[in-house]
Amino acid sequence: MNSHTITHRQLFFLVIQTQIGVGVLSLPYTLFSKAKIDGWISLFMAGIFIQFSVLAIWKLCDRFPKQTIYEILPKIMGKKLGYVFNAIYTIHFSFISILILIMYNSIVGKWILFETPHWVIIFIMAAVGYYVITSSPREIVRFFVLVTPLLIILFILILYAYTDVHLLYLFPVGHTGILTIIKSSADAVVALLGFDAALVFLAYSNASAARNIKVISFASFCITILYGFIVFTTYIFFNPKEIIIVPEPVLYMLKAFSFSIIERTDLIFLSVWIISVATSFVCYLFIAAKGVQTLFGLKEHQKGAPYIAIFCAVIAIIPDDKLEVMTWNKYITMTSVFLSAVFPIVLLVIAVLRKKQEKGAATS
Amino acid sequence: MTFFKKPKKLITEAKVEHDIQKGLNNKSTVVQNLNLDELLTKVKEPFSATEDLVTQEVELPSDTSRIALLYIESIVDKQLVQSMILDPLFTTGKEITFESFKKMASIDLKQETDFNQVPKFLLQSNTLVFTEDTTCFYTVSTPVKTQRDITEPDNESIVRGAHDGFVENLSTNLALVRKKLRSSKLTIKYLLLGQESHMKLALLYVDQIANPELVKEVEKRVKSIEADAVYAPGNVEESIEDKPFSFFPQILNTERPDRVAANLMEGRVALLYDTSPTAHIMPVNFFTFYQSVDDYNKRWHISSFFRFIRIMGFFIALGLPAIYISIVSFHYEVIPFDLILLIKSSLEDIPYPPLVEALLMELTIEFIREASIRLPARIGSTIAIVGGLVIGDAVVKAGLVSNLMIIVVAVTAIAAYIVPSNEMSAAVRILRFPFMVAAATLGFLGIVFGFLLLLFHLCRLYTFGSPYFAPIAPLNVKDLKDTFLRAPFWKQDTRPQDLNTQKPDNRNHTRKWDKS
Repeated sequence: MNSHTITHRQLFFLVIQTQIGVGVLSLPYTLFSKAKIDGWISLFMAGIFIQFSVLAIWKLCDRFPKQTIYEILPKIMGKKLGYVFNAIYTIHFSFISILILIMYNSIVGKWILFETPHWVIIFIMAAVGYYVITSSPREIVRFFVLVTPLLIILFILILYAYTDVHLLYLFPVGHTGILTIIKSSADAVVALLGFDAALVFLAYSNASAARNIKVISFASFCITILYGFIVFTTYIFFNPKEIIIVPEPVLYMLKAFSFSIIERTDLIFLSVWIISVATSFVCYLFIAAKGVQTLFGLKEHQKGAPYIAIFCAVIAIIPDDKLEVMTWNKYITMTSVFLSAVFPIVLLVIAVLRKKQEKGAATS
Repeated sequence: MTFFKKPKKLITEAKVEHDIQKGLNNKSTVVQNLNLDELLTKVKEPFSATEDLVTQEVELPSDTSRIALLYIESIVDKQLVQSMILDPLFTTGKEITFESFKKMASIDLKQETDFNQVPKFLLQSNTLVFTEDTTCFYTVSTPVKTQRDITEPDNESIVRGAHDGFVENLSTNLALVRKKLRSSKLTIKYLLLGQESHMKLALLYVDQIANPELVKEVEKRVKSIEADAVYAPGNVEESIEDKPFSFFPQILNTERPDRVAANLMEGRVALLYDTSPTAHIMPVNFFTFYQSVDDYNKRWHISSFFRFIRIMGFFIALGLPAIYISIVSFHYEVIPFDLILLIKSSLEDIPYPPLVEALLMELTIEFIREASIRLPARIGSTIAIVGGLVIGDAVVKAGLVSNLMIIVVAVTAIAAYIVPSNEMSAAVRILRFPFMVAAATLGFLGIVFGFLLLLFHLCRLYTFGSPYFAPIAPLNVKDLKDTFLRAPFWKQDTRPQDLNTQKPDNRNHTRKWDKS
């Protein structure tokens, strides 16, 4: 058996760990700023939307079994255009990694280490990322499975909020109007990104196509539920007037809890959250490194790994004040939604129209 | 790295020398037409003028033909030579052939014709018998028994269970294993290591259970060792382990025959040595080092609880000083208010930063350990008192180190020694220093990244083709029965899957009477 393959269970944990990332802390706030207290409905709608993208990604990869997006693109669009799009996707995935670094840096700088220079915080994450992606997908995924139980800690900590919730905050449901709700679901899609890791990792899966789609779809579903739970909890914990002034509602919520042994629960939450961020970062960095490998025709992705890690870290240092971070966030999320969630559908349509399909693929 | 590389030329030179040696040996094969005296000088040629190489000529009363005995007296039991060779020879007193000799000296007699092997036989404690028929010679195994008694190994003592341990003698060690595992499938392969030292070792596995690929791999790696002398099992361990730069032990050292037997039956491979009571077991995973033979003789809840304590000991030994440092230097707010007052008051007059404080005390503990380890027990306890009580107490009174730091360091030290394996305990003790530095520079973030790196390192580590952090990475729920928990015997009905054994089912069907 090829030592690079992963099982369908591992694929499930991979998608879960990639999806849970920086977004979880600020999601309730971003949703609230547009859809008000109906933000949670937007989130669930986004959860439905991404299922289409998931389906498209799966169908696309199913036409070209055991191939990553970087191998598929030239086959669909021709060699030259494919190379251009490979470059675009490589840059896209490295910019998602950069965005993760930026957001992680701003949260850590704000909540844990106030005086540590930013480049230290960023470089240590990049170094860990580099170390992890120098191994095979199988080992990376094993690691993801290993750290997944930590999510239970996050869940339990949030569950504690139910000692002090007010369901009335949610009402009236749907008063912002269905259009606003749908519009703001685009923001929710950003937080749910991570299923796009399937574009590369489906190539390593050794399970059947039917199993793969079940697994990715179910993972996205689980994360939608978890995010929905978090958003919902913050909305019934905070007064609608409070949420506007707390950019990281989850942390503010946890900060309010204190137990007899631990005073600041938010710090514990953040420590565990960093691991989730690291897994998403590692995953995207791996995908970007794969892109670099295809672009430069390298034998192994490990060769390009140090350059991509340093590149991401250096770029991530650039934005240093809050406004800049927000602009970066805005543009990168916009392109991400397009390239990760919408464009795979376009690619699938092109592939179907041009009847591009690899032999041996299931024709069902 | 170039520093570590062997210069290429030397290797080829060594090879040439090796070839010359071979050529010389081949030349000495032509011995057919020599008489006994010439033959004796010829076969003694490879030996230097060592005086314990004894040639003893015997003239039988009833026979005119000469017989010569050749042996190295320091490693031969002369009583045996007398009783097994000389006495029977004198009683029969005929010209000897293989058959007649076989009747006299019944055990361990072999007829050999390859004169190149003479040095090898001599060095293996054989007595060689040469007759005037110079086409062949006879070897009789007459090893001298210099061996201590079988005692319980000090570093692996247990409360209940078998109390025997290996000694510095391969055949005794093998007997101890065979006694535990009287199976026709237990296979033993002898190997010799070191072109000059000829250390004998045995490779043990259970045929039809152990993965043949694994056996082949171990054998290949052991055989590839080329050295003038291989003295210690440690030499072999370092030569065959997968990642010599990792802090974690990748081969289990044990002196307990029952442990070897149990691991063999799980499908592992063991190496036993003639020169050392240590046996090596491979491949092992991280959790093997947290198992003890004692676990299987206790009630399963209790041993499960101790397993849990040990794993917790791993995390405490690694993380507690780091967590303490990060709390007092970065995250005061994590601990409750009342405790802050306490810590503050104890830390107030300490002139050093917490990291220095911690390093000071951790190093002191290591000093005490290293100082007392080789001392006789009577002085050892003095060191413990001076080190532990006097330094511990005085250092606080002098205001160099805080009270809490002493507590943290003491708990950490104890936690590090909970690990049943000495090697793993050492790895944990070393690793907590980088953790402390990480905590002092980045607080919780440093600890989290430290653990991330550590766990990932464990995830990507392989020993002899099987993952080191199995069964939790890759996750295998079925195999968890003997890691965090020690499931009862009747639940342990499969062999570990990461070993790819030939028979995954170990046929543990106990408690059948209970089902009816």
